[in-house]
Amino acid sequence: MAKTTKAAKSANEIKRLWLTYPKKAIQRPAIYELGHKFKVVTNIRQASVTEEVGIVSLELVGERTEIKKAIKWLEGLGIKVEPVEINVIEG
Amino acid sequence: MKVKHGFFTSLKCRECGRHYPKEALHVCEFCFGPLEVDYDYDLIKTVLTRDKIQSRPTNMWRYRELLPIEGEPTIGFQVGFTPLVKADRLAKRLGLREVWVKNDTVNYPTLSFKDRVVSVALSRARELGFEIVACASTGNLANSVAANAASGGLKSYVFIPADLETGKVLGSLVYGTNVIGIRGTYDAVNRLCSEIAGKYGWAFVNVNIRPYYAEGSKSLGYEIVEQLGWRLPDHVVVPMAGGSLITKIHKSFKEFVKLGLVDERECRIHGAQAEGCAPIVNAMKIGADIIKPVSKPQTIVKSLAIGNPADGFYSIQTMRQTGGWAENPDDTEVVAGIRLLAETEGIFAETAGGVTVAATKRLVEDGRIKSNESLVLCITGHGLKTQEAVANKCGEARVIGPHLREFLALLDRKD
Repeated sequence: MAKTTKAAKSANEIKRLWLTYPKKAIQRPAIYELGHKFKVVTNIRQASVTEEVGIVSLELVGERTEIKKAIKWLEGLGIKVEPVEINVIEG
Repeated sequence: MKVKHGFFTSLKCRECGRHYPKEALHVCEFCFGPLEVDYDYDLIKTVLTRDKIQSRPTNMWRYRELLPIEGEPTIGFQVGFTPLVKADRLAKRLGLREVWVKNDTVNYPTLSFKDRVVSVALSRARELGFEIVACASTGNLANSVAANAASGGLKSYVFIPADLETGKVLGSLVYGTNVIGIRGTYDAVNRLCSEIAGKYGWAFVNVNIRPYYAEGSKSLGYEIVEQLGWRLPDHVVVPMAGGSLITKIHKSFKEFVKLGLVDERECRIHGAQAEGCAPIVNAMKIGADIIKPVSKPQTIVKSLAIGNPADGFYSIQTMRQTGGWAENPDDTEVVAGIRLLAETEGIFAETAGGVTVAATKRLVEDGRIKSNESLVLCITGHGLKTQEAVANKCGEARVIGPHLREFLALLDRKD
């Protein structure tokens, strides 16, 4: 996995994201589906799942437009997608 | 010639413990965990004493060995060492014996605790060679970056949601900063700002400079200990937005104990959020480790309305480890809290202060804070910044003509 990521890095953009799954989306293999629907490399770094919520830290590598489409698709499933810096805006 | 100190040694991942060089980094490349500053406490212990601290000027830099800069500070010489007010009248109303208010409503120069974090962030940014500083904010942070950058001669950019109230925008514009309003949802603005932070060689204080920035909050904790006569109180109540402040106050207490500057004792640290956006409190109350984000915050307490708090998990750890608790008063209680503090102590706090007072009231009523125990309230910003929250809720001026008889009649009236 690390090798693929490194190769892809040279030509593509890298996005580091936190995904937050609502209860209804927890059992859906969304990241597997994402890898098939869009030309992006998915690399899970951390995951934590309870009955109420699922949280995954995910690296996406691919062309900018493809990453944008992939994020939009995830959001369409009700999954909250944020940069790993979450809450860049402060009070 | 500037002397470089070796007191802070590296950045360290809070999750997996990996070490990183002291650069503008904020996320662990391996696990995406947040990076935190690591110090050489053995070295600090050899040089930092109570006497040495007390001999220094009364600002936050009197604890400089525990703040992450290598040379001398270049920004924020007047920041910190705000009053710790003995609040006897408030204590009486709460039914407690000993209450103190750590009054950061008068922090210099922008009347909130953010001047502490920004002073460290900008001093460090300058050491790292940055010429442009930036932040994304809806209020206090933007004001502080704009003001402190101006005083330090740094160019600054402040990113805000485009629909922000005019007063808040003006509070940054006046310092000559570049204010960029962004149209879009809160999430969209967050995403764009994180992209901007990664793309340009700027010091984004709450993104790539965040590990340094966050350490500035510790000065609030050091000051509490010193101003209490080098002791820890029984309880501290802290407002929570992203949750960083409460964890840093805990860290400051632990560091002082480790360095032998204060005796170890039980000190319960409690957190406060508003009911309309209380992801950390909700998780704490149900005993969960994972924070369930609040997608649409609905509260007058805008400065704490962070739906997915970056340090939420660590805040819960702090409260659990210290035996503290969390409370989430509603907006009516918040306004009552602002008024209670103002009417008893003459301190006009912003809405976050109202949350802190109202949460304290609940903690006392639930028996979590006993009448004979000591308590410190962290009041972090001035009420002039959020006047709309109490507008029409404090009564009105009674108007009379310029005649003594009208004044006497007014005094005689019962209403």
